Amino acid sequence: MGNWVVNHWFSVLFLVVWLGLNVFLFVDAFLKYEKADKYYYTRKILGSTLACARASALCLNFNSTLILLPVCRNLLSFLRGTCSFCSRTLRKQLDHNLTFHKLVAYMICLHTAIHIIAHLFNFDCYSRSRQATDGSLASILSSLSHDEKKGGSWLNPIQSRNTTVEYVTFTSIAGLTGVIMTIALILMVTSATEFIRRSYFEVFWYTHHLFIFYILGLGIHGIGGIVRGQTEESMNESHPRKCAESFEMWDDRDSHCRRPKFEGHPPESWKWILAPVILYICERILRFYRSQQKVVITKVVMHPSKVLELQMNKRGFSMEVGQYIFVNCPSISLLEWHPFTLTSAPEEDFFSIHIRAAGDWTENLIRAFEQQYSPIPRIEVDGPFGTASEDVFQYEVAVLVGAGIGVTPFASILKSIWYKFQCADHNLKTKKIYFYWICRETGAFSWFNNLLTSLEQEMEELGKVGFLNYRLFLTGWDSNIVGHAALNFDKATDIVTGLKQKTSFGRPMWDNEFSTIATSHPKSVVGVFLCGPRTLAKSLRKCCHRYSSLDPRKVQFYFNKENF
Amino acid sequence: MGQIEWAMWANEQALASGLILITGGIVATAGRFTQWYFGAYSIVAGVFVCLLEYPRGKRKKGSTMERWGQKYMTAVVKLFGPFTRNYYVRAVLHLLLSVPAGFLLATILGTACLAIASGIYLLCPAGGCAWRAVDAHRAQAPGAA
Repeated sequence: MGNWVVNHWFSVLFLVVWLGLNVFLFVDAFLKYEKADKYYYTRKILGSTLACARASALCLNFNSTLILLPVCRNLLSFLRGTCSFCSRTLRKQLDHNLTFHKLVAYMICLHTAIHIIAHLFNFDCYSRSRQATDGSLASILSSLSHDEKKGGSWLNPIQSRNTTVEYVTFTSIAGLTGVIMTIALILMVTSATEFIRRSYFEVFWYTHHLFIFYILGLGIHGIGGIVRGQTEESMNESHPRKCAESFEMWDDRDSHCRRPKFEGHPPESWKWILAPVILYICERILRFYRSQQKVVITKVVMHPSKVLELQMNKRGFSMEVGQYIFVNCPSISLLEWHPFTLTSAPEEDFFSIHIRAAGDWTENLIRAFEQQYSPIPRIEVDGPFGTASEDVFQYEVAVLVGAGIGVTPFASILKSIWYKFQCADHNLKTKKIYFYWICRETGAFSWFNNLLTSLEQEMEELGKVGFLNYRLFLTGWDSNIVGHAALNFDKATDIVTGLKQKTSFGRPMWDNEFSTIATSHPKSVVGVFLCGPRTLAKSLRKCCHRYSSLDPRKVQFYFNKENF
Repeated sequence: MGQIEWAMWANEQALASGLILITGGIVATAGRFTQWYFGAYSIVAGVFVCLLEYPRGKRKKGSTMERWGQKYMTAVVKLFGPFTRNYYVRAVLHLLLSVPAGFLLATILGTACLAIASGIYLLCPAGGCAWRAVDAHRAQAPGAA
């Protein structure tokens, strides 16, 4: 529990402040429109739904300001760099930018629903009071017409008995932009569900650019001044609290009260979104500028099971372990940028990524590089992004668990640890590593296999065989493989991987593993790092609690939720 | 773009449209707006669309993430055979269902969204467009993850 608080206090505080601001803005605007005398007559027709609509509008403005900021990844990198004096836990919160973006999006959807429902009631009220012939205050107010000389001091946007609410919706700027914005929002949300994002990324990426219509619509939504309040002048002359009761006598010459005059509320959304839009435009310009910088591909390696390794160089590029880059290949798709974890160590003089065929873009890229006789396609790179996983080097004993594709960042980490170990780097506190690799079958990761083999060889040469202790778990086994393994039990190297350490079948029994580690290192602080599914994170966290000794001087397991 | 199964996005869009139709319908009926009976229709149409679209169909390539509890509706959807299996039939059905809701402002958003879902279903390539049930009991090789 203490571990969780230390890691997450900033996120919780941030979310509480954000929710608190939403509630405050909503209640504040609601009370303003519910109590202010300026809207006394408007409320006579509309009731409380006016205040509801305006309150949700203010929250929409606030959240629309926030929505563009978390996706400015270069801005966030800049913040991360300038705040290097802040603790790493604080800076790691910047890695949750997309989670915050989604939360703000959900809030926008909620307030959009409230806003639309409130306005539906408003339009219905306006329509009814226009139709009413009972001489009530509402019908008199509705009859104030549009074509008076001073720009019209009307209250009810529905001008004639025959005008339908649908007509007003589609011919007023507010209505039309509202419909366009809402449809854009709905399309963006349905194409951004996790299933669609993971399976058909292009659908998500291109549809999400409909946000341009949302932002433009928001900017001009309030231009028509359809929310009307009484003018200052009119309130001084005939204050609603004095004159409302005597509305039948407004037209009498000797009455103190005149007909009230109304003016539209000026648009204010543009003030909220101007700054984030400018920041976002700068972000896109910066991305474009960075992408134009030349990337030199120094080596192309085609690994088995259609895995492409690209080793590259770019001027001014410096990376840390666990970071990722965005890659674009203009000859395949001009607009798509895809993220890849860096698999090289910072100590190497190039940076590399391993690309697996997992969709249209990756397959086309691999095919383009496979062509023997055509020139190598040009690659653009943006990055690196992400908080570095420096914590790995701080623990005396490190337990690294990579599941499936999650093994990729560990390529960078293992290589870096090995380089630091060879140079006896002081920053490296690690004395022993336990690496668990869990995957269905090693085919797509045979490149990682080769990495482990070469590390194994180097360790033998240096006489440090015990430094890296790794186990491979194949979860997609069948009786053939097991039979074969049983026959070759005595061989020195494993038949599946060719590594000295044998492959195990099925999933690791974490209780056994943790208790073995706890027994071997009774006084150490052990850091556990995972890149894999959430269910695995839960089991590992549980084991960490269970096997950490109550005595702080004895073995302690710390589970690190790394954001790869 | 060749490998995109548009039907999957159409399914998400249609499900969202169903919910929007229900919400708009409830607002119109509860508020007793003019011509509120279109709102009542919208609720019924929305519920039907939601039930039809809730079970996600099987992807052609790769594993399909099932929605929670979808196996109950899968059995019902399978019963109607070609009427629910064929995506073109679904496209036409959604288009027809969306029309009456277009007469009322409260539900017109539902109309637009359902019409868009219908359009996305039509992007399916001919001959490759069928909803297949995700099997509840998959034969597993021993130890398969």
